[in-house]
Amino acid sequence: MGVGPSTKETTLHHFRDPLVDVFGADPDIDFQGVVVVGTPQDNTLKGLVGQRVAKWLQAMGTNGAVLSADGWGNSDVDFMNTMSEIGDLGISIIGLKFIGKQATFVVTNEYTPFVLDINKSKSGTETTVVGENNLDHRDANKALGFLKLKMRADHSKQ
Amino acid sequence: MADDALKIRSFSVNNVSFGKHYAFENGNLVIPETFQPDLPVGYDSIKLRIIKPHHLDVPTNSIMDIVPISAKVLGKIGTGLTHTLTGVYLLITGATTDGTQLHDFGSSDGVLKDQLKLGQAGTPGPDDFIIMFDVLLQPAFKYDRDFVTQLFDYSDQFIQPIRKILKMTNGRYATETHTFYNERHPGKPKVAVVKEVAGQGTMYDNLLFPKEPSGMAAGVSIIDLNNFPVLLTANEYRDGAIRAMV
Repeated sequence: MGVGPSTKETTLHHFRDPLVDVFGADPDIDFQGVVVVGTPQDNTLKGLVGQRVAKWLQAMGTNGAVLSADGWGNSDVDFMNTMSEIGDLGISIIGLKFIGKQATFVVTNEYTPFVLDINKSKSGTETTVVGENNLDHRDANKALGFLKLKMRADHSKQ
Repeated sequence: MADDALKIRSFSVNNVSFGKHYAFENGNLVIPETFQPDLPVGYDSIKLRIIKPHHLDVPTNSIMDIVPISAKVLGKIGTGLTHTLTGVYLLITGATTDGTQLHDFGSSDGVLKDQLKLGQAGTPGPDDFIIMFDVLLQPAFKYDRDFVTQLFDYSDQFIQPIRKILKMTNGRYATETHTFYNERHPGKPKVAVVKEVAGQGTMYDNLLFPKEPSGMAAGVSIIDLNNFPVLLTANEYRDGAIRAMV
């Protein structure tokens, strides 16, 4: 078992998470914290946990959020579902996940263009090299910039 | 808001060696050569290996996790004071004695230098020591959640004596000290990070809020929370509130 080796986030990764580093230090946003959500096996629960994240962010008055995933494959359904639930409540949302050539979207919707690929391998595949396709500081900075643009665009539409 | 501050002191390790007892002095970390808890049925043995920087040309079983060695000195996770070692990380690997790897969605067994990209947030740097904690199981071991959780638990028991020493280590010997705050900037756009983590079952699991930073003991599994969302402050996250079991 286990998620793909090159994308899996080790305990050390969580300890030094680039997203928390970058988002937690930017004076131009009011950083609210990290919502950790799991990926249930059951389909009804998959929908429910994504919906709970969205409702929670709405209650927190969140203007924008970034969704990132550990691993790929089974969890892609959860990813798109959670992203849509958040976006549908009018919260600006962008995503970060491993796509490469191996994990492209099976179904696309209005939110898929706002997902950034964290793949770093030349082959665009799960290389089984631990750490190779991990989210790094560059991805985190890119995500922050992208989210700021998205928030501005969404705001001007209102 | 004193509760809001998290101080992390890091102590750099310049050498790791085997000895009779655990010890940490002048940047030298000493660990016992063997770790032999009362292993239940299903286990063969646990083997320890010290890998020096730039000496990664060694065989490895599938890499299950990489863990920083940190100890809570004062307060709870996310506040107070934490001591952590830099320059050394624990690498947990696992397989059965007949070579079956413990990961089936892509295994990272092979030669360590080819299976590990150094210098990432989640991996050791090129100049860091690695303690390899290699768990060998009997071919007919019972693969379930309890068994795998216990396997990670053993690695935590191995680290705990180092944590005990770290708690007593005088802060003046720290190489670096950082103080973090859950900084808010009222009036600016409110932003949250949402992290989707594995929670489908055995070896797709994550623990939240262990007693020790990046530890196992007293942690709550995301599976037991039915994968429902949990909010962590930036400082809780920075203080090792998540332990991966993927």
